[in-house]
Amino acid sequence: MMHSSDSQWPEVSFEERMATAHFDVHPHAHIVVNSAVCADCTSRECVVACPANLFVPTSDGGVVFNYEQCFECGTCYLVCNQEGAISWSYPEGGHGIVFRRT
Amino acid sequence: MNSPIDIVVCLKLTARPGVADADERFAGVSPADQAALETALVLAEHSRGSVTAAAVGPVAAELALREALACGAHRAVRLDAPSALDSAEVARQLEGVVGDAAIVVCGDYSLDRGSGSVPAFLAHRLRCAQALGLVSVDHTGVVDRMLHVVRRLDGGRRELLTVPLPCVLSVEGSVARLRRAGLRDALAARTTNIDVRPSAPMAAHAATAVVTPYRPRARTMMSPGDPDPLARLRALTDATGSSTRGETVALEPGEAAERILRSLREWGYLD
Amino acid sequence: MSDRTQHAANPDVDVDVIVVGAGPAGSCAAIALARAGFSVVLLERGPFPGSKNMYGGVVYPRILDELIPRWYDEAPVQRWITRRSTMVMTDTQAMSIDFRNDAWAAPPYNGATAYRPDFDHWLAGHAESAGAQLLCSTTATGLLRDRSGAVTGVTTDRPDGDLTARLVIACDGVNSFLAKDAGLYREVAAKHYTLGVKETIGLPKEVIDERFGVRGREGVDIEIIGCTSGVNGGGFVYTNLDTVAVGVVLKLPALAAQQLRPEQIIAKMKTHSAIAPLVEGGELKEYSAHLIPEAGLSMMPKLATAGLLVAGDAAALCLAAGIWLEGVNFAMASGMYAGQAAAEALRRGDTSEQGLAGYERRLTETFVLRDHRKLRRAPALVLSDRVQHRYPQMVAAVVERMFRVDNPDPKPGLRRILAQERKRAGVRRRDLARDGWAGLRTFG
Repeated sequence: MMHSSDSQWPEVSFEERMATAHFDVHPHAHIVVNSAVCADCTSRECVVACPANLFVPTSDGGVVFNYEQCFECGTCYLVCNQEGAISWSYPEGGHGIVFRRT
Repeated sequence: MNSPIDIVVCLKLTARPGVADADERFAGVSPADQAALETALVLAEHSRGSVTAAAVGPVAAELALREALACGAHRAVRLDAPSALDSAEVARQLEGVVGDAAIVVCGDYSLDRGSGSVPAFLAHRLRCAQALGLVSVDHTGVVDRMLHVVRRLDGGRRELLTVPLPCVLSVEGSVARLRRAGLRDALAARTTNIDVRPSAPMAAHAATAVVTPYRPRARTMMSPGDPDPLARLRALTDATGSSTRGETVALEPGEAAERILRSLREWGYLD
Repeated sequence: MSDRTQHAANPDVDVDVIVVGAGPAGSCAAIALARAGFSVVLLERGPFPGSKNMYGGVVYPRILDELIPRWYDEAPVQRWITRRSTMVMTDTQAMSIDFRNDAWAAPPYNGATAYRPDFDHWLAGHAESAGAQLLCSTTATGLLRDRSGAVTGVTTDRPDGDLTARLVIACDGVNSFLAKDAGLYREVAAKHYTLGVKETIGLPKEVIDERFGVRGREGVDIEIIGCTSGVNGGGFVYTNLDTVAVGVVLKLPALAAQQLRPEQIIAKMKTHSAIAPLVEGGELKEYSAHLIPEAGLSMMPKLATAGLLVAGDAAALCLAAGIWLEGVNFAMASGMYAGQAAAEALRRGDTSEQGLAGYERRLTETFVLRDHRKLRRAPALVLSDRVQHRYPQMVAAVVERMFRVDNPDPKPGLRRILAQERKRAGVRRRDLARDGWAGLRTFG
């Protein structure tokens, strides 16, 4: 499967990948996660599916999240199977992701 | 007893850091400029005063002015000029707008991280008091035409200043968070008339300053002799120490300037 | 012109129409209404129109002929698509149907690649010139209703942020909280959505021209099936002037179940021998993601209720039908028809659900809903496990054996190869026949 020129592909780190997108971060989070609900969740769809990798499982069985680099796509609340775990709205007008070459 | 106080806030619209696109969509004003606007609005509210938002630049600069109008500035003036003017020239252009306003508020840095020297040039031209790099502005004194402000000094120190009006202030972004414009104000500001004035003829500079990128000086350090590693670390970093480099002197302005220049020469900042 | 449309004719409301979202749907609705003489406020939550928008790369703007004649002289496009490829791939193979058409390099053109922050910004500029009041950095957070339940305006996140109108047009995108707030969606389920993730990769224009075999402003769009590491979906590669966009579209439940992250799926696709030579050596300029309402008619909400119309992605008007992948044209068309129907209803003074029926009628009479009706089975077929996983293997194996030359063995007959490879891929004849028939009925 791997192409012979694989070595020419220094796949960028996730931090570098996210650094290519511009965010005008608002001080208030537009994603709220109910950690009590997440503690009982085993499937953790949000952790896999979020394209910005904002949901991070913790060793004690919880999920921590960042909202700062959110693409505002809505994947997390749609894939989440746990009622009431993720409250999601748009950030305040003028804030959040600003695409340039999309 | 107190006459209304006219306040001018100076705003600079520039491209955001790291954006090559010289495009108004990606432009903005710095947090410091936003804080300056909020400071001006609060001071005006406490003094029955009015706020004039001023910008020097091409037509794109009106985006910043319209945002200021939406937030509550009473009028806006744009001095039509190319965007790449040096600080002295910007101050010269602004002088006409400021007129006899009692307070001029600027951000201490624009988004493109210029030298932050416009407020100082402006205060010089206006021959008025200046308080620059403020971390706090107490609005209560405004009715007595006396502002109590806090200025950042090196090494985490603060300077409490009492500034008589008229004055030029420059504030850091942390001083205030700009209010969000109301819906109707934002809609109205789209079409508010902006006073566009031709720029004053460019001055022929007597002296031209050459601006070079900042290069920290190499500093010779003696190897600390203390056998205790923690003590050596302290000696090297000044981490807990009281620096002895600072010195407070009280001199006449002319002598003070001489003294500052001499010290800067001694420390190697000037040739 | 804007003076004429500053104030609503009815003094009880702030404005005749509020259009929420200055994407292609919202801007076209605002253009149509403002030109008809109505006062329009066009709300955009981003700092400028297009700043929140991302797509799979090709816009088909012919629908703009009606609103902006000779749009192609001024629209900020990157390249005009003159080469359209459909590629089926397995881990080590790829088969393409590659079509090139010189006529698409000249007006009126066919498809174009464009950056949405450019294109949408440009289109919203036309709405402003037509007299609409564009207000950015303002999120519509909900609907205002009267006692009968009719929509009478929106709430926004600005102080004193309620705005009233005779009619609201929700063009607020794939997550449309307004359409959901109005109860127009029967069901909101992950299975109806795909996630698009994309890398915009910088390369010199000459390198792109050479690698993709194009010149000047000619561009290439490649749609791919079988490149998504087993997650149901598809991929794409297309050319901008000095960037190449590479991305995948992933069915949400499959993505969540697969334990593979989106950027890993792109990374793997980029190592494929059919893709790597096109993009290697390039620098990642921007990584982006967006949802797509993929399920066509089966997810489509009610399009109108008293005082409210829904258009564009908010109405799930996006055509994801395998060989046709269109969205922006459906958005522009539905927005325009919403604007026309709204103008009609306002003139009659009837913005009840019946009064707004002209909207759905217009969509039904044009490609907007006709294509969706005709292709209603396509999304399920294209994203089915057989089309996604088994057929690419089978097709590639058949083609490989057709072209393999291993003398001294004689060439086997095509029918025998087909039968053998169908069995090897685990495809039942019955299913193949059924999918073939479904495909014919859908696409034929």
